Amino acid sequence: MKRLLLPLLVFALLTAACTATPAAEAPPPEEPGSPEEPADPEEPATPEEPEEPMDPVRLRATFSWPTFIDPAVGNDFSSSHAMTNLYDALIFPNVEGKMEPALAESWDVSDDGLTYTFHLRDGVKFHDGSDLEASDVVYSYNRSQEIGEGFAYVMAGAEVSAPDDQTVEFQLSVPSGLFVPGLVRLYVVNEDLVRANTDAEGPYGTEGDYGKDWLLTNDAGSGPYQVVEFPLEEYLLMDKFEDWWNADAFHANAPDQVRFIATTETATVRSLMDDAELEITDQWQTLEALEALDNMDGISSLAFPSMSSFYYMMNNTKAPLDDVHCRRAVSYAFDYDQAVALEWPGTNQMVGPVNATLGGHSPDVTVYERDLDKAAEELAQCAYADSIEDIPIEVVWIAEVPAEEKWALLFQANMADIGIPVEVVSNPWLSVVENTSTQETSSHIVTIYVTASLPEAGAALQDRYHSSTAATWQQNEWLLDADLDARIEDALATADSDERFAKYAALQAELADQAVSLFLYDQLQKHAVADYVDWTPAANSPIQGYQLYAPFIGVTPP
Amino acid sequence: MRVLGFLARRGFQAIFVLLGLSMLIFVIARVLPGDPARTALGARAPQWVIDRLREDMHLDKPLVAQYGYWLGDALQGDLGISLVTRRDVTDDIREFLPASLELVLFSGLITAVGGISLGILSARHKDKWADNFIRVFSYLGIVTPSFVAAILLLLLFGLILDWFPTIGRLSEGVPRPPTITGLYTVDSLLAGQFSTTLDALHHLILPAVALALASLSQEARITRSTMSDNLSKDYIAASRALGVPERLVTGRFLLKASIIPTVAIFGLDFAATLGSAFLVELIFVWPGISRYGVNAMLRKDLNAISAVILVLGITFVIVNILVDLGVGSLDPRIRLRGSRSD
Repeated sequence: MKRLLLPLLVFALLTAACTATPAAEAPPPEEPGSPEEPADPEEPATPEEPEEPMDPVRLRATFSWPTFIDPAVGNDFSSSHAMTNLYDALIFPNVEGKMEPALAESWDVSDDGLTYTFHLRDGVKFHDGSDLEASDVVYSYNRSQEIGEGFAYVMAGAEVSAPDDQTVEFQLSVPSGLFVPGLVRLYVVNEDLVRANTDAEGPYGTEGDYGKDWLLTNDAGSGPYQVVEFPLEEYLLMDKFEDWWNADAFHANAPDQVRFIATTETATVRSLMDDAELEITDQWQTLEALEALDNMDGISSLAFPSMSSFYYMMNNTKAPLDDVHCRRAVSYAFDYDQAVALEWPGTNQMVGPVNATLGGHSPDVTVYERDLDKAAEELAQCAYADSIEDIPIEVVWIAEVPAEEKWALLFQANMADIGIPVEVVSNPWLSVVENTSTQETSSHIVTIYVTASLPEAGAALQDRYHSSTAATWQQNEWLLDADLDARIEDALATADSDERFAKYAALQAELADQAVSLFLYDQLQKHAVADYVDWTPAANSPIQGYQLYAPFIGVTPP
Repeated sequence: MRVLGFLARRGFQAIFVLLGLSMLIFVIARVLPGDPARTALGARAPQWVIDRLREDMHLDKPLVAQYGYWLGDALQGDLGISLVTRRDVTDDIREFLPASLELVLFSGLITAVGGISLGILSARHKDKWADNFIRVFSYLGIVTPSFVAAILLLLLFGLILDWFPTIGRLSEGVPRPPTITGLYTVDSLLAGQFSTTLDALHHLILPAVALALASLSQEARITRSTMSDNLSKDYIAASRALGVPERLVTGRFLLKASIIPTVAIFGLDFAATLGSAFLVELIFVWPGISRYGVNAMLRKDLNAISAVILVLGITFVIVNILVDLGVGSLDPRIRLRGSRSD
């Protein structure tokens, strides 16, 4: 008998486990009712049984991980979306790129463009019920700048104060046309709550750890959703905040719960969509996977413009690409139509050096198209024309993004048409980050998707071509042009938007003419979506984090 | 006393093994290309923030000094901060290791029961259809990578048949048990949350079977092979000739002698599975240490890499000791030979 005990126990466990566990099930549909009989007045009324609580309406989306919900730390795709749903900022970006009032009802700018005064709206509550005041804004800003991570750089350079509980004043040292848009990243935290959960031991002096440890898995926000639980490697679960100051903006069928799931595995995502356990896929699904999902009943693919573009970053200091004629020859030899055809239908070639969705994007630039005659003409004027066959161009694609290889091979084939040898190399991301940090180790060309930090061309120009980014993966061109830097800075400091955009236009024309990069295409963001989800991301701001904004999404489960 | 002496000796040897391992992985992790501080903080983090993080991680010191700092902290239980999760690596290990242990233990159970059972069945019906079927199954199991098995199981049982959940450790809405061991099945049993226990087991099945398949197949083949060899031994013939019931011949005399290589391989497989479960954990969104470790390597999270390798090393040492004890208990000759050589 003893010998049978272990096998019996194992058998019992396995049998029990294989039985489908009744998870929270939706209540059964009501049966067609027969007319109610009138209650007997003699019989005492039986007490009604309490109704079973309805299942919450859930919105589940997969994301690439990790996700950081601390507003002073996160800055990637999943973190941006989490923070936007958990926190509020002073302003809210609309689809045209304009900033609308949010926590701030209004703001003023001094004539010299150095002082910004924001007037906060009354009655805004944090998730713990306490009032949001100007001091919280001051604390949030200072915390962001002292920690220096995440999106601190987009709103840097101000001194902030709170003259009273409803007024916040920012004092800049130089004017900035991007200061207000940059404040979309100033997510306001509950100062008292963070201080109450701050570890006194930490690298920030008297501020200890600045609450970073606690904010890893908790929120201190006032936003439309609040953290319920956050097991770090699995999912982020958020509940609707019914006392949100802007509750009227909730979609009529806005989800009660939002869950970000930490996976992008195709088989897993497909299984979840099929089981109606997932409403929106991540944007990293392959074209084939999206097509397969699109063919499934009740699921459709959706693509919309993003602020991300695909560049071939040409090292302007490395022969033969240090000669503008060689760069133009390469630009004219590349087959952009074929490159775009390898992407999702509706993808467009870049027009100039910045993404077309950005404010101040200029179409008046040289747009390179494949023209082998022009390519040959430019190549003939290149200083390396006679020795071009001895200087192979190394094209590096990111090993973690296998799809990039096909464009690299296309480039190799195209360059062979004009006699330029190309070596195609894949490098892991860590190596790319390391190699692009010095001129000596930077390759001829690195192929990278770059997302603009703010919805203006100036932000993209600064991110991509200012000398401050030369030793980072955001710029392999190594322009190191002091004059260009000065003109970018001047444009960014121009308060008037028309004037600022005119300066952007001149910069874009020059960079395109100089063919500093290959401008491949503006990336569409693609998702598979359950048909019972009402989501119009194209009606939201293209700023990262504002597309999957749960208050504007309706979910009507079948 | 003999056992205690054995344990003391092996424990002493383990210290040097682990020290050597920690040095090796420490150096390798730092030699890998990439600036962990810049990678973690992003392209636009100011240089002073990068420098502060590098200083906190002692990356501005010579390699020997860095190892000294790390070892001193590790001996006090401080394994540093993870650049991926941004919290203490100790907390990460505490959270992710039990998840992997639960998965690997359940997978081990399936391997042991399934592998040995199939091996016995195969040996008893040698060269008959049952043996042939099991052998083909075993070959398929061995050549099929665990992640391929995971995807196939997920698609078949999760997508098409919808018999099992496909992600995570618990279903939505199922309450988590209080943390006692970190193993949801055990903790929920101890807390009396039986529905949670069943749900946790339900989630364990697919990833555990995916992980177990190759080991189970190997165990089946090894068990079959050794049992087949021992079947022709004189003592078995003698037992049968003396009229000992067949189930006793197989279950007591034959199995005990044949299972020793199986136990040895099982132990090594168990420890290896803990580290190689990455893709299965990725596919099933299982928050385990293997997935955490691979993510750490991809992002050059130095503290996490060192900690994960150390944990895996300790696991290997412990499992090897247990295997030696188990093998010694099964075969007195090994136990006695071992003690004589001391």
